[in-house]
Parts: sequence; C-alpha cells; structure tokens
Amino acid sequence: MKFGHVFKETLKNEGFPPAWVESAISYSQLKKCINRLTTELAAVGLTPTTLGALLKHVEDYNAATAVEDEPRPFEYILSEQPGPGSDALAHGRAARKPFHPKLLFHVSEATGELLSATLDEDTRKKLQMLAVESGISDRRVFEEPDADRKSLACHETTHVPRPGNGAPRQRPGCRTVEIPLTSDSEFFAKLAAELSGLEALQARERRDMHTQIEALGKQVAKLTDPDHRSNRKILAVWRQIFQAYVESGIFFGTTEQDHTAHDADKATVRFHEFANKIASTGLVDKLKKPENVRALNTFMNINREILQGLRFGEINRMAMMKILKKFDKQTALGVKASFPAKIEYPEFSEHLAKAVCAEVNTQILAHVPQIDDYSCPMCMDLKWRPVKLRCGHTFCIRCLIVMQNEKQHKCPLCREPTVVDANSDNLDLALAEFLKKWFPDEVKAKQKYNERMAGIDEYGEVYDGKCMVM
Amino acid sequence: MSLPKRIIKETERLMADPVPGISAVPHEDNLRYFDVTIEGPSQSPYEKGIFQLELFLPDDYPMTPPKIRFLTKIYHPNIDRLGRICLDVLKSNWSPALQIRTILLSIQALLGAPNPDDPLANDVAQDWKKDEKGAIETARQWTQQYAK
Ligand SMILES: [Zn+2]
Ligand SMILES: [Zn+2]
Repeated sequence: MKFGHVFKETLKNEGFPPAWVESAISYSQLKKCINRLTTELAAVGLTPTTLGALLKHVEDYNAATAVEDEPRPFEYILSEQPGPGSDALAHGRAARKPFHPKLLFHVSEATGELLSATLDEDTRKKLQMLAVESGISDRRVFEEPDADRKSLACHETTHVPRPGNGAPRQRPGCRTVEIPLTSDSEFFAKLAAELSGLEALQARERRDMHTQIEALGKQVAKLTDPDHRSNRKILAVWRQIFQAYVESGIFFGTTEQDHTAHDADKATVRFHEFANKIASTGLVDKLKKPENVRALNTFMNINREILQGLRFGEINRMAMMKILKKFDKQTALGVKASFPAKIEYPEFSEHLAKAVCAEVNTQILAHVPQIDDYSCPMCMDLKWRPVKLRCGHTFCIRCLIVMQNEKQHKCPLCREPTVVDANSDNLDLALAEFLKKWFPDEVKAKQKYNERMAGIDEYGEVYDGKCMVM
Repeated sequence: MSLPKRIIKETERLMADPVPGISAVPHEDNLRYFDVTIEGPSQSPYEKGIFQLELFLPDDYPMTPPKIRFLTKIYHPNIDRLGRICLDVLKSNWSPALQIRTILLSIQALLGAPNPDDPLANDVAQDWKKDEKGAIETARQWTQQYAK
C-alpha cells in the first residue's frame, strides 16, 4: 500500500482528536507541490535523470574536498533567513524561519559555457538560454598572463549570494545563474509552517496534560490519605497498582538491558501488560468505591493520551521523511542527504512523553510512597524500627543488633565506625511514625519477624520450631 | 531455616533484571547455591570467553561475603589454579551492603584489569610482570581453549 494512503487511514482510524488531525503533515498537498516542481524543472530540461547525473557529480565533488577548484556544475541551497535558527529550534515554540531554496548553475565567464560535461545537448542549450536571459555578468574577470584556472581572479560586485552556511563558494571566472523556481519555495514554506504547527500543538497538549495530572495527583492524595483509617486498605491497593505501573516500564525501560525510550508499538504492548496485570491480580476489583475507580480510569486515560501522542508524532515524522524522499526521487535535488540539519523533525513525541511521564511520577506516584524507598540495605525489608547512625545512614534495629553481635563495627554503606556505639537512643522516631502511618501492614509483619528472631537469639533455633504453625 | 527475604529479593532481581554479560541461577534444591557465568570483557585477553563460576551464600550472609570461585580454567594473576579469586571486596573490604550483582561486576572488572602486583597465583603474576605480552597471549589461548 502506498504511504499516502496508510497515513490518511491512520489519521482517520486511530482516534486522534480532530485538532491533531488538522495539524498533521499535509502529505498529499506536499506531493502536489513536488509534481509542480517537476514540471518547472522539466521546462528547463532538468529531468530527474539529468539532475541525478549532476547530483552524482556534486557528490563526487564534495567527497574529493582536497580538489578545491574542481568545477561544480550546480548547487541546490536551502538557506534560511539569517538569524539564530538553532535557538529558535531549541525553544520549540518560536516559528521556524522560512526556507529560501535556490538552484544555482555556474557558467564560464569567458566562454559562456556551462561548467559541466555531463549535460546532454538539449539541457545545455536550455540552460545557456537562461544564462543569457538573466543578463550580462556583473563580474569583471582578470586573466593572469600564465592563465591556468587556479590563477584566475574574479571579483564579484553585485548578485552576491547572502553570506552564511548556504552561500555558494566564489568561483573564479564564472557566473552564477539562478534557475527561477517557485514550487520548491512553496513546498518548504508549507513544510516549515506545518512543523511549527506541530510544535505549537505539542506545547498546548503539554499544558493540558499538566492540568489533568495535577488534578489527579490531588485526588489520589485525598483517596490514600493515611490519616483517615478507612483509607488504609485502599492505600495498599494503590501502592500495588503504582508499583506494577513502574515495573511495567511502559514508556522507558527500567532494566539493565532495556533503559531507552520505547516507541509507540512497544509502549502500547507494555501498557496492555500493565492493564492486564492489575485486572488479573484483582487489584482493580479491590478499588470498590466509585471515586477510586474513576481515579484509576483517569490515570489510564492519561497514559492512553501519552501513547497517542507518541503514535501521532511517529507517523508525522514518517510522513516528513517519506515526502522528502519523494522530493529527492522526483527532482534529484538531494535535499534529504545534503541538508539534514535544517529539516530535522522536531522531537515532538518523545519530548512530550518524557515530560508527561516525569509529571506522572512527581505529581501522582509520589503521593503513595513505595516500600523500596524505605528498605534497609542489609535485610532489604522495611527499615523497622529505624536507627540512624552518626554517619547519617539508617538501618533497621534488627540488622544493627546482628552487626554488633558479629563485631561488625563499621557502617556497611560508608565504612565509618558508627555501628559500634549505636543504641536505642538513635531510633529515628520521625521516620518510625511515617512508616507506621504509610506501611501499617508491613510494619506489623516486620515486628513479628523481629520478635521471632530475638527469640532465636535468646533460646536458639528450637524457638523457631515451637512457633511454627503447622 | 527459611531463606532470608534479602536472598529472595536479590535472586528475583538477578532473574528479572540481569546484568549484561553475567548470569546467576540458583540451584532448585539449594537456593543459596548459584551457577554463574561471566562473559570476558571486550578488549581483554578474556574477550569472547564464557567463564563458569560457583557461588555460595553462607548462613551468615550478608554479614560474611559470598564464597565464589572459577570453575573454568583461567590464566590470570589474581585467580589461582583452584579458581580462587583475590579480590579485596570478597575479603577484608566486604560490606553487607554489597550484593551478589555488585560482586559479580567486580569480578568481571577484574578480568578487564589484571593486577599482577597483588597476586594470588604467584607464578602467573611473575610471568605477567616479566613478559606481559606473552602472558596476555597465554591468557588468550587459555580462553580459546577452556572458556567455551
Ligand atoms: Zn535491616
Ligand atoms: Zn554510614
């Protein structure tokens, strides 16, 4: 299937908001621009085949940079208006500067001959006519007595192309002829405007998501507030949901072997895995109260929106790459290969996904503390009861007792001799309060374990047997 | 005695989020005993070698370090004929905050940076100091021959 068709169908069927669809790259209109440009070029004898041969010549020229003065038959320049173009890109919202593409040929001042051996007779004639039409040269040519090409001097007076990256190099003894084209300017102006539009859309979307996320964050904080005893059960459920969410690594890998941003396909798969997991483990059913279910739905919808943004960004990026490829294929002007920096696609989807995911973390997930952030580096269980050593590191009291019994005097994290003189005065009461409030079940379990282990310390392994409930 | 939560957690993470180039799988009938493989680091004489090790967590782990040795024959100044490893974090510099994965990473790093000034295998270390090029070549040959 042709890409144009696939693109159109995707825009129609993926359920994107209408405002997004309107901002999408107008692939078919750009395609028409290319068709008009092909006609314009053919009118001066520049069929794709001819231009392709010329382009090859230019590429060879560029590759052989050592040979500075090789004749260069033509240049196609995408010059931007002077100005801090890269800054504008970095700030995203600033409008892109319009492109001013130019197709330039060089003719020998002395003979009026085109500086290319690869043109067929017909094209050569047409271009020479253009050169004559565009008037007598403004340049004066001084020929040195021992005239080889390198010593030819050439002074340009007017008609000097704008300085900057896109300026063609001055060439001795030749005149620059610009082929009058309009459809290419149209093409690039349209593309640039659409890219700006996509950037603006991204900024709007980001603000909108921010509002949604902030509101949901407040709601989750209310629903899980441990000061209300009735929330305790639901707090544990939300914690498990968010833990499953983080572990699913939907938009970014979180493992050693996968720590990059995911594309829309992979993120979608991961999202469905997450949704299945919380449904199949019964977490969704445990939410019970309608306000909890509503909050979860909002959370899922925010994630779906990030996914859609990712997908939308991807197909637009693809559309841009395809249309530039088509531009080159039909005109042989070599835009895609020669000027990648200027027509780089804005990091639409990835930026949005990254920014929004960061907000989901800080505004929503952070309301429900996870046990891993409060686990003891020794036993990897909840730090209950927490003892803060002089060096500032905190362990559970059980592990410190074990360390002291084993004459392990140094802190496992910093190796300062702070374990030896720790005692129950060093209990971190504020942290203990916090843990009791947010992890009531885990605290109970750990307390039981500690009591059992203390019993073993006192009475030996037998104690363990006595307590076993068979 | 049941398996401490720490060992369960470390094992889970080793399975779910393995370190590239390293694997550690516990025995079904003894969860304190692991079969370990380490890939030789690239740009070292051990490159492309796959080394088998055994790792055992003693009863008082993590108060004492894991016991670990190479099963694959290896030519290295800090590893002796019995596969024992001379690595400070496995002895005097052990800390209970270190884990199986951090230890295995240290061993992988040791393969990339042999230290003949702190030898365990004295004969190898002497060769290494006398003729480093020759020693590296021997290490490469042993890797090709044994670490498959
Ligand atoms: Zn502990
Ligand atoms: Zn410390």
